[in-house]
Amino acid sequence: MKTKTCNDCTRGSGFPLRGDGFSRRRFLQVAGTGIVASYFADVLSPSLLRAATAGVTLRNTAKNCIFIFLAGAPSHVDTWDLKEGSWTPSDFTPDTYAGGNIRFPRGLMPQTATHIDKLAFVRSGLAWAAVHQLGQAWAQIARNPGGATGAIAPHIGAVVSLESQAARTVSDVLPGFIALNSPAIPTSGYLPAKYAPFGVTTASTGLATLSHPDGATRFTDRWNFLHQLDANRHSGALGKASMDMNDFYDQSKALMDTPGINNFFSFTDADHAKYGSSDFGDSLIVARNLVGSRRGTRFVQATLNGWDHHDGIYDKPANGVNSLYTQSAMFDPAFGALLTDLAATPGSASGKTLLDETLVVVLGEFGRTTGALNNQGGRDHYLRMSMVFAGGGVRGGRALGKTDANGASAVDYGWSQERDIRPEDVTCTIYSALGIDYTTVRTDDPLGRGFEYVPFAKDGTYKPIEELW
Amino acid sequence: MKRSIALLTLALAPSLLADPCPFAVDLISPRSAYHTASANAELVAPSATATAPGRRRPGTAPANPQGSLPRVNFIDTDLFAKMDTDGVKPTAIAGDAEFLRRVTLDLTGQIPDAATVTAFLNDTASDKRTKKIDELLASDAFNDRWTMWFGDLVQNVQVSSSGREYYIGRNVYYTFIRDSIRNAKPYDQMVRELLAGKGDSFSVGQANYWVRQIQNNGPIQDTYDNLAAHSGEKFLGQPLLCLSCHSGLGHLELVNTYLKSKTRSDFWGMAAFFATTRARPMQADPATPNIRKFDVQDLPNGAYQLNTDAGNKTPRAPVPGGSSVATAAYMFTGEKPRAGEPLRDAYGRMLTADRQFARTAVNQLWKEMFGVGLVEPLNAFDLSKLTTQPSNPALLEDLTSEFIRNGYNLRGILRTMAVSSAYQLSSVYTPGPWSETLTPYFARHYPHRLTAEGLLDAVAKATNVPVTMNVQGMGTVTRAMLLPDPLEGRRSGPGVLLDEFGRGDRDDSARTNDTSISQALALMNNTIVTTRVKRATTNSTMSKVLASTTDPGTIADQLYLATLSRKPTADERTQAINYLKSGTLATKAEDLQFVLLNQLEFLFD
Repeated sequence: MKTKTCNDCTRGSGFPLRGDGFSRRRFLQVAGTGIVASYFADVLSPSLLRAATAGVTLRNTAKNCIFIFLAGAPSHVDTWDLKEGSWTPSDFTPDTYAGGNIRFPRGLMPQTATHIDKLAFVRSGLAWAAVHQLGQAWAQIARNPGGATGAIAPHIGAVVSLESQAARTVSDVLPGFIALNSPAIPTSGYLPAKYAPFGVTTASTGLATLSHPDGATRFTDRWNFLHQLDANRHSGALGKASMDMNDFYDQSKALMDTPGINNFFSFTDADHAKYGSSDFGDSLIVARNLVGSRRGTRFVQATLNGWDHHDGIYDKPANGVNSLYTQSAMFDPAFGALLTDLAATPGSASGKTLLDETLVVVLGEFGRTTGALNNQGGRDHYLRMSMVFAGGGVRGGRALGKTDANGASAVDYGWSQERDIRPEDVTCTIYSALGIDYTTVRTDDPLGRGFEYVPFAKDGTYKPIEELW
Repeated sequence: MKRSIALLTLALAPSLLADPCPFAVDLISPRSAYHTASANAELVAPSATATAPGRRRPGTAPANPQGSLPRVNFIDTDLFAKMDTDGVKPTAIAGDAEFLRRVTLDLTGQIPDAATVTAFLNDTASDKRTKKIDELLASDAFNDRWTMWFGDLVQNVQVSSSGREYYIGRNVYYTFIRDSIRNAKPYDQMVRELLAGKGDSFSVGQANYWVRQIQNNGPIQDTYDNLAAHSGEKFLGQPLLCLSCHSGLGHLELVNTYLKSKTRSDFWGMAAFFATTRARPMQADPATPNIRKFDVQDLPNGAYQLNTDAGNKTPRAPVPGGSSVATAAYMFTGEKPRAGEPLRDAYGRMLTADRQFARTAVNQLWKEMFGVGLVEPLNAFDLSKLTTQPSNPALLEDLTSEFIRNGYNLRGILRTMAVSSAYQLSSVYTPGPWSETLTPYFARHYPHRLTAEGLLDAVAKATNVPVTMNVQGMGTVTRAMLLPDPLEGRRSGPGVLLDEFGRGDRDDSARTNDTSISQALALMNNTIVTTRVKRATTNSTMSKVLASTTDPGTIADQLYLATLSRKPTADERTQAINYLKSGTLATKAEDLQFVLLNQLEFLFD
C-alpha cells in the first residue's frame, strides 16, 4: 500500500475490529431457567413508540438488505458517474448502456457491467462531511455523529434488527444484523445490545466459535455440568444483567446446536474463486448465504476498505499498489457474482427471486475530486458522490440525477425533492423498502428528547428515493 | 440549493435544509452513561426478576446478623438513615471471600490469586479488611486500574473522529496520568494541569488534553466548544454541549431544568477561556511526514469570534447590538479572569473550585465502587434538583465535602467508600424478596459485569497463563489493564475478547458492560479461554494443580480458589468430587475449571 498523504485516512495499524458485541434474545425459548422477565418491552410495547405516520407510505418491497460499504470513498467520476476526459485510462473502455443513458467503465468493472440492467445509479448524492470517520459514521447512523443524538444512535442495521424482532420465529436462530469483515462500525447505540451487529471475520471453515474447540462430546459434558453447578443460573440471584447473559448462553447453544448453521458462514473454494478470491468476495458469499438462509438475518453489511486514492489512483496492479484497479479487482467479481446468485435464487414469495426481496445498497462515505488528477496522480476528498441500488424492487438500468461535465455539482437532482440526496435519504429508502416507518420517533431514548430513526424525517426533511421503484 | 464545495476540508453544510437544529449537539461520548440510564430505568421499574435469596456465593455465610450493621462512617449513616425512613432493610455484610474479590477487583481491576485468598481467609485479625484495603490502595495495580479509568474520562486515544494524538502523544499522556495517580497528585491539581496543558504534545502528556479535542472539520471555535463541552461533561457532570448550538430555553426543559435557563452566550463564555491558546502542528520527524505533533501554547491575545457559518455548529453571530467576540466568564458564577491571569489557568481555577467539580468526581467514583451512580447518567446533573435528583442527596453532599476536605485525594475518598459497611454488603439479599426498586438504596451490593480488561485479566490470572500484547512505543504488556488505549491489543490476539466485552474506543463507542451472544460464544469456544485450562499449557494453574495432587477434593478446592476466589461449599465440593471421579482426572479437572470460568459469578461482581 502506498503512503497516504491524508492525515485522516488510516486509524493506525492497530485499529481493531469492533462493534461485534452482538446479542439477541430468543424470547420464545428461555431454556431451562424458569426466569422470564419482561425482556421485550423495548420491542413490543407500543407505548414506547410514537410514529408520525400520517401520510407515510412504505414501499415494503424487500425482506433483507445487503449494505456494501466502500470505506475510504471511491471516486464517483471514475465509476458510477463516469466522466471521461484526457485523464481517463484507455483500458477503462467505457461503454454505453441502458439505451444510451449510462456510460460505464466496462474495462474496470467487467462483471458489474453485465448487470447494469439491475442497477440504479444515484448521481445527485452529497455527503455532509469530507472527513473519513465522520462521513463513515454518518452514512451508517443516518445523522451527524457529533449531533444531538449522534452518540446514542444505533447503526441502521440495528434498527432493522429491532424492527424485525417481533416477526422472528423459533427457527430464526441467526442474529438480525450481521457485519462481515466490517471493523469499527457503529453498534446498537442506546438500543439493547442484542441488536448490535454480530461481527464475523469470514473464513472458509465458517465461524470458529460456533463449535467447541475440544469437541462436541466434551462440550455437552461441560455444558451440562455448568448448568448443574451454577446455582445463579437458576436462582437469578445476581440480578437481571446476569440473567440476560444466561439467556445469551442459551442462544449461543441454540446456534451451536442448529445443524448446518455454520454452512451459512462457510464457503467452497469454487465460490471463493467465483467471488474474486478476496476477503470482500468471501463476505459477499456469506451475505448471499445469510439472506438466503431465512434464519432471521435481515441486514448484512460487507465492507471493502481502501478506496482513499489521494495518489496513484490509476496505478496498474503490481506489488504494493492500491489503486482503482486493485480495488475494482476485489469489488467487481464479488458484486457481479452476488447479483447473479441472488437473481438465480428463488425468493420466499412465489415468482420472486432472492434479489427481488433483497435491497442491495453500495456506497462510500463521500466522493472524490473531479476533473484531472491532482499532482500526486490521485483524487482527494469531495462531497459529491454517487450511490448504487439494486434489488428489492428497485428498477435497474437507470441513473437518477445528473452532474455537470466534471461531476462536481448536480444539474438535475433526479427526484421529486429537487435537492441533493443525502445519507439520511438513503436510510429512509432502506427503511421504506423494508417496511420500516422511517418517520418513527422512539420515546425510550435516554435523553428524553425522542429518538428519530432519521432526524427530521417526520417533518418531511428527508425522504425515501421513491424514483428508484 | 447548489453548494460550492471545498477540497479536502470541512464541509458540513450549514442550514441547507429546513432543520430546526440540524447540528444539535449534546454530549461528547456518553454511550456508557446512556446505557446506564437505560439500565436505571430497568432498575427502578418494578420487575419480574425478583430473585430467590441466599443462593449466591453459598460459601460465604453472612458475617453479621441483620440489623447490627456497624455505622463505620457517614456513608453508612446516610444510606441506612434513608433505608430506615423508607422501611427498606439492608442485607448482611458479605463474607470475607466475597469482600476480598470485590475490593480487589474494584481497587485494582484484578482478581486475587489463590494464595492471597487463602491467607486472607485464614487471617484472624479483626482489622484485616481495612488492612487489605490499604494494601490494595498502595499497590501498583491500583495505579494501572485508575489510569485506565482516568484515560476513559479524558478519552486518551491515539486517533479519534476529531483529534489525533498519534501513539506517541497517547503514550506521554498515559504516562502523565499514571504518574499523577501513582504520586497521589490531588485530583483537582491534575485537572488544572490538563486544562492548561502546554508544550510539545509528543513530550508533554497533558498538552494532549487539547489535542484530543481538536475538531478538524470545522473552524477553531468548534475546538474551543469541544474543550468547554468535554470539561463541562466530565468534570462538572453537565451536558453543556447542548448549549454549544442553542440556548436552553425551548430545548432543555425536559432534559435539564437548570440548563434551560442558560444561553448559548453563557456557553461561549466558557469556551472563550480556550480562545487565546493555539495548537500549532509541527512535523515530528522528517522521516515520517505524516506524523504531526502539536505545540500547544497560550498567546498574548486571541478571542472567541462570533463569525462562523460553517462547521459543526449552527452559525455563530453576535446578539443584536452585542460584541462580536465572546468574553470569558464562568457561566455558573459569572466570574471573569483576574488581570493578567492566563485564561486557561483561570478556567481551571474556577472549575476546580466549583463544588460541582468535587460532586461530579465523587459520583463517578461511587459508580466505580458501587456499580450505580448516585446521579445517573453521570453527565446529567441538574443543578436545580440537587435535593431530589440524587438517589441519596445527603450522601452525595457528604461525599463531596469529604473529597474537598481531604484535598481531592483519590485514594482517600475510595478508602472512605471501601471501609463502609454499605460497600461491604453482600450481593445476597436476605431480608426478603429482592426487588430492583431497592437498588437505589444500595440495600445490597449491585453485581455488575467485569470490565473488558478486568475480565480478560481474570481469565489469565485464574489460569495463570498471562496475555501478551504489543503496544506501539511501549513494547509488550502482559495485562489488559496496562493497555494505554483501547485501540491497542489487537483483535488477532487476545484483544478480540476485549472487543467482545465492550471496551469501546474512547471516541464514538463508549465502554459498555452489556452482555451478548458473542461474549457467551467467546467464553465457551474461543481458544484464548479453552487452551488456558489445559494441563498441557505451560505453567497453567491446571498443570500445577495436577502436578501437586491427585485428590479430587483438593483439586476442587484449588480450582475454586484460583477461579472464583473462594472455597467451594460443601455441596459444590461434593458435586465437583463426583464429577472429577466420573472420568479421567486430568480431563475432568480441565472441564471443572472451564465450568468455573463460565459461571455467572465469574463474570459478575
